[in-house]
Amino acid sequence: MRNMIASLKQGLWWVWRHKVRTVVLLLVVSLLGPGPVRSQFLDPCCAILATSLSTISSTLSSVIGGGLNSILSVEKNISNFEQTVVWPQKLITQAQSLVGNVRVIFNQIQGVMRVPVNSASLPATQQFEQVLLSRDPNQIAQTSAQYSAVYGAVPNPIAASPQTRDITDMTDAAAQAAMKRAIEIDALADLELQAADEINQSIQAAAPGSAPIIEAQADAWLVRANAYTQSATADLMRVRAIDLANASANVKNGAANAAAVQQQIYNLLKRQ
Amino acid sequence: MVFLTNMMFGLFLAAFFYAIVSARTRRQLLALTLAGALAVAVLGPPPAQAQGSLVAVIQSVLNVINGLIKTALNSINSVRTTVSNLYQQATWPVALINQARATVTQMIARYRGLMQNIFSIDLKSATLQNPAALETVMRNHQTGDFASLTNSFANTYGAVPAATAVNAADRTMMDMDDALAVDNLKTLKESDFADDLTLQAADNIEDAASQAAPGSAPFLTATAVVASIQSQALTQKMLAAELRQEAARLAHENALRKRGATLTGDVNAQILNLLQRK
Repeated sequence: MRNMIASLKQGLWWVWRHKVRTVVLLLVVSLLGPGPVRSQFLDPCCAILATSLSTISSTLSSVIGGGLNSILSVEKNISNFEQTVVWPQKLITQAQSLVGNVRVIFNQIQGVMRVPVNSASLPATQQFEQVLLSRDPNQIAQTSAQYSAVYGAVPNPIAASPQTRDITDMTDAAAQAAMKRAIEIDALADLELQAADEINQSIQAAAPGSAPIIEAQADAWLVRANAYTQSATADLMRVRAIDLANASANVKNGAANAAAVQQQIYNLLKRQ
Repeated sequence: MVFLTNMMFGLFLAAFFYAIVSARTRRQLLALTLAGALAVAVLGPPPAQAQGSLVAVIQSVLNVINGLIKTALNSINSVRTTVSNLYQQATWPVALINQARATVTQMIARYRGLMQNIFSIDLKSATLQNPAALETVMRNHQTGDFASLTNSFANTYGAVPAATAVNAADRTMMDMDDALAVDNLKTLKESDFADDLTLQAADNIEDAASQAAPGSAPFLTATAVVASIQSQALTQKMLAAELRQEAARLAHENALRKRGATLTGDVNAQILNLLQRK
């Protein structure tokens, strides 16, 4: 205790003797020492901050929250309208199921159209008929030989006049071309039916937004099918045109023959 | 970091204390005082901000919320409301959608039965037994009675003669003509059956259209287009059959022409022979 009192006295004595140093030390310590902590409750700055944050919060709730709620309400309205009026899932599913039903119907049609219709009874005609009804373009090459086996070849130059041979050859050519075209058209029609079934399959799995794309493809196929139909119609018209030309040629031949007979009768009478 | 700063600060104070206490001259003391002042200037806490600037910052935040953000939200709301109105009043008005469905239903009621009645009018006209049987089997839209068709055809038009009764060329041509005629009659039976199914498909599509929504209608239009392709393919098959038939008729006439030419040549040769003998 004595030592402590003595040390204290010594310290105070040192301070008394070195006033300037003591003042400098106190100043530096007081200025560099950490400042007091402000209370959250008693400091006026915190109160202002709290009020301001509360104002910001209420403004966010009313302005942004209110605005977003209005937008949400409109969006819900649009969403509800789209789901119940524009794209109702139930009706979409129904439409997809209808596509399936239509597929079944056309598959049935395809099956019926494949029932064989062959009717010939003789070997040559049976072979020819088989080629004509084959729906196989690879058999087109056999058509001409089998046609000649059934309908005969163009007469040789000794047996018929050049004019008759020309008409006969042209008529055979038109008939054969029409038969070949019939094989082609049958094959094309089969491919169209196959493609149509594939397209229907795609439609069944499509979405309302992708169905129009498939429809566009189907439209393109329809245009193509129309072109093939036109081509078949053109061949039919060619056959009929040749038939008309033959009728005309018959009349012309008749007239020429009549003139020749008249001439021969005239020659005979002159001799007598 | 805070710990390190406190350590540095403690060391600095200890060194400063020691230097002040142990300074021997006034000059040293003056130097240490200046060093202390410099430390205070450098390490001292920054001056406190005025409360007024905090209020200004908060006010500016509020201004942004009430100005820019509020305007933007109002604009978005306005645009979405316009879009909603456009959908409901111009693009997909429910009244017009219902009206379209009602129109489809009314047209079904007005036309379908009428057209079915017209299409199912009995066209048969044969009066004798064999033609009547052929006509019935030709027009019954069935595909399971082709044998009956062949028999009825033979009963009406006769069978191909026996090989001894006619020359081979005629017999072949008769068989080919008959075959193509019967083929086409069979094809027409298939086609009639297909027509019935195609009409059924059309009815199904129309029924579905009477209940469709704008979003489900594309499925129906697409499948209707596909049905058109299939229908077109069937038309092509009929055209192909008609082509075969017309071609066969042309070939038949041409075969007669060939035979006529050959016979004429033969007759000419025989007349020539006769004249030469005289």
